[in-house]
Formats: sequence, C-alpha cells, structure tokens
Amino acid sequence: MKTTIHVRVNGTDQQVEIDTRMIVADMLRERLRLTGVHIGCATGNCGACTVFLDGVTVKSCCVLAADVDGAEITTVEALSSGPDDLHPIQQAFVDNQGLQCGFCTPGMILSTKALLESNPNPTEDEIRHGIAGNLCRCTGYHFIVKSIQAAAERLNGSAATD
Amino acid sequence: MISNEIQFHAPGSLAEALDLLASEGEDLTVLSGGMSLLPMMNLGIVRPSKVLSLNRVSELGHVTERDGQIVIGAMVRHQRVATDPLIQRHAPLLAAARVVGDVQVRNRGTIGGSVAHADPSADYLPALAAAGGSITLSSARGERTLSPDEFFIDLMFTSREPEEIVSAVTVPKLPDGWRSAYQRLARVEGSFAIVNAAAVLAGDRSVATVALGGVGPRAVAVDATEQLSDGVDEQALARVGEAVYEAARDATGDLMSDATYRREMAVVFAKRALRQAAGLADARVGSGPAGPGAGSGPAGQDSSNAEARS
Repeated sequence: MKTTIHVRVNGTDQQVEIDTRMIVADMLRERLRLTGVHIGCATGNCGACTVFLDGVTVKSCCVLAADVDGAEITTVEALSSGPDDLHPIQQAFVDNQGLQCGFCTPGMILSTKALLESNPNPTEDEIRHGIAGNLCRCTGYHFIVKSIQAAAERLNGSAATD
Repeated sequence: MISNEIQFHAPGSLAEALDLLASEGEDLTVLSGGMSLLPMMNLGIVRPSKVLSLNRVSELGHVTERDGQIVIGAMVRHQRVATDPLIQRHAPLLAAARVVGDVQVRNRGTIGGSVAHADPSADYLPALAAAGGSITLSSARGERTLSPDEFFIDLMFTSREPEEIVSAVTVPKLPDGWRSAYQRLARVEGSFAIVNAAAVLAGDRSVATVALGGVGPRAVAVDATEQLSDGVDEQALARVGEAVYEAARDATGDLMSDATYRREMAVVFAKRALRQAAGLADARVGSGPAGPGAGSGPAGQDSSNAEARS
C-alpha cells in the first residue's frame, strides 16, 4: 500500500512516498539517497543501520517507515559536509584506524555520538557496553574503542575552550 | 522490502486501537517496539497482512503508582523501565531491563511487547514471576488482569485473545527491608539469556522466592522460604538448588546449550541471585555501575538491585 509521510531528516522537512512494507532504513537509502545508512542483517543484530529517531538511537531496519510519520531522524550524513569537514568523532576514527572495511562505521559513529552525549567521559567498560549493539565483522573493536576514547578527549577539549 | 502487502494502522488513542481490534482482531498483528516482530517480518517468518501499531497510543506510555502497586504502561520502552525513578525504587527487579538487548533495542523495545511476545528467555519473565507481578489485557469490552501463570501458557503462546492487547504490567511495591536481585547467563551482551534468575527475599526471610527463565516454555517460581528459614548459607542454598533442579525438569536443549546444562546453570544462577539478594559476596559477580548498559560483563550479567532497598 502506498502512502505519504512527513519526516524531518537531518534538519530538512521531507514529504516521502513510501510503501507500508518499507522499513525506515530502506526509506532513507532508496527514497532519500542517504546511503550512509547501511543494512547488514535486517534482524536488529548488527547495528549498521543505526540512526537517531526522535533523539535516541534505533536500528532503522526494525522500524516501519509508516510508523515514523511526523518524526525527526538524523543519519551520519548530518555530521559532516565532506572529507574536509569531519565531525570530531569521525576524525578520531580516521586518526586511530577505527575502521577497516568501514561497513559498520556509520552505526559505530552514531552510537558513539549517543554515548558521549549522555556520558562525556566513559570508561572502557562503558564504551564497550555503549557499542554492544554494533557489530564489526572485521573485529576491529580494539581500535574502535581507542577511537571513541580519542573522540571523547577531543570533544571535551573543545568544550573546555568554547 | 517486506514481501507481502501490509495494511498499516496507527491509531492515536487506546479506544480507537481497541475498536479496530474488536472488528478486525483476527487479522491484525499488533506492533509495539517491533524488536522481535520486524526481524521476523524482514525474514518472512511472519507475514502479517494488517499491522496495528501502538506507537501513537500515548495512554500506554505512563508509569504510575496505584494502590501499593507500580503500573507500567505497555508502551513504556526498556530504557525507561531501566531508569524510571518509581520503578527503580519500588520495582527494582524490573530494572532488569537494563540488560535487555543493547542500547538501540532498549530505546525502541517495550515492556508490553516483550511480555506479549512471551519468549521464555526474556528478561522480564522471571522478574515478573518472582515479584508477584500481573499482566493487564484490554479490549473494547473491558480489561482483565492475569497472573504470569495465567497469562503465559507455552512457548510464545499466551492467553491474549485476538481482540485484546497487553495494556499494562503491574508489580507490587517491594516492601521496606525486602531485597531483590537478577542474574542472567548469556554468551554475549545483547543475546537472549540461556538461563536467568530473579530472587526476592524478605528481610526476616518470611518470603524467599527465586524464579527461573530459560528452563522450559515459561518461567518457573521456586518457593525457597522453608530452605532459607534459618539463614542464607551454602548448605541452605544447596537445598534450594535441589528444588530448582527439579523445578527445571521441563528444560529443553537447543544449539547453544542442552537441557542438562540449562538445569545445572539454573541452579548456579538461582544461588547467585539469592546470595546477592541476601547481601552475600559472590566473588564471580561484580556489582556493576548503575544505569542502562552497565553490568559486570557479557557472561553472567549482574543486574543487582540489592542496594536499592537495604
């Protein structure tokens, strides 16, 4: 069944034609071309499709597009305008080799953002719990944790000088 | 994209949702957080032709205190269950939610959805059994409240009728001086528990209950009052362990763990939960920091709330 929903995506109001069978991840990728939303498993395990929905992270493969009419969504695309303008979290991942194949990275970045917003100085244990919903098939967790620690330092440093 | 056509309904009030269920209940699949339903739909295991989303029914999103009980609306999400002050203070066992799934799952999944789905390894099930909780079902004709024993019938099978929804989960306030603890065994964080255990202990040990999940199609509660009447020590716990092993006789095996392993782990985790509720140290169990996502580690996650009501 076709229907139309209104969503605010990355700060822009959008009217989107969807099918009621469509999941949010497909709507973002196929209708809005936000291909930073990756679909790894479509069963809520891998977290590659993580987006902010009304301020909290969710796995967008497990939410029906028809169910987000009126909602606000933020994807990884909102964090940066391009390679020369990386968000401090993204830059920390680059600097610390926090990505190998890169498939899990958008989800990791957004889970990191959510974690650091609620807990600016997480312990290593808290970091590992914070990204428990994001799987890295390259198993590069060690450098991902290191990247998140670096991102926290960077964000706290910039907050102090603001 | 999900392969079958879906008629999607998202009513804005409980009355509308119940009217819809009264007229089309047989064909409607009720969607709350979708953390189990959507994966099944994506995989084609479940192919609903009509979906009723409760995500716009704000009446189901409240936590209230009523007649000495904490009433949690069905659409309260796990993250809120884990952090709500009323629940933390008066129904600490349900803060077991802090180990449900992962951050994203807790942000979306709901207590009502988890209960209605009735997976025998769900974190709330032993907690509800041990805490003496109840489940409220609503329909256009009214509501009824069932004990976990009445509500949960078999593996993913409950006494909910097609025209009903799970509208609330209620637990009595934990009396002063009572303590509770929750323990679970899982391979990795986020996975369903292999075995989980919830314990409730009165200060004078006039009530001692431990409920186990993962050892049969539904949670089993074991009354340990007699065994623990003289105190909680290893000898007494060994006797509780025997009762737990017997109560877990319906355990079945799966790829991860066979029936005997589950029964033996039920004993281990029942004892751990009781030790923790009794305030006894257990070297293998750390007391993780409070808050969602916190715990002692992936295996044997600790969700103690023993400090909450000392």
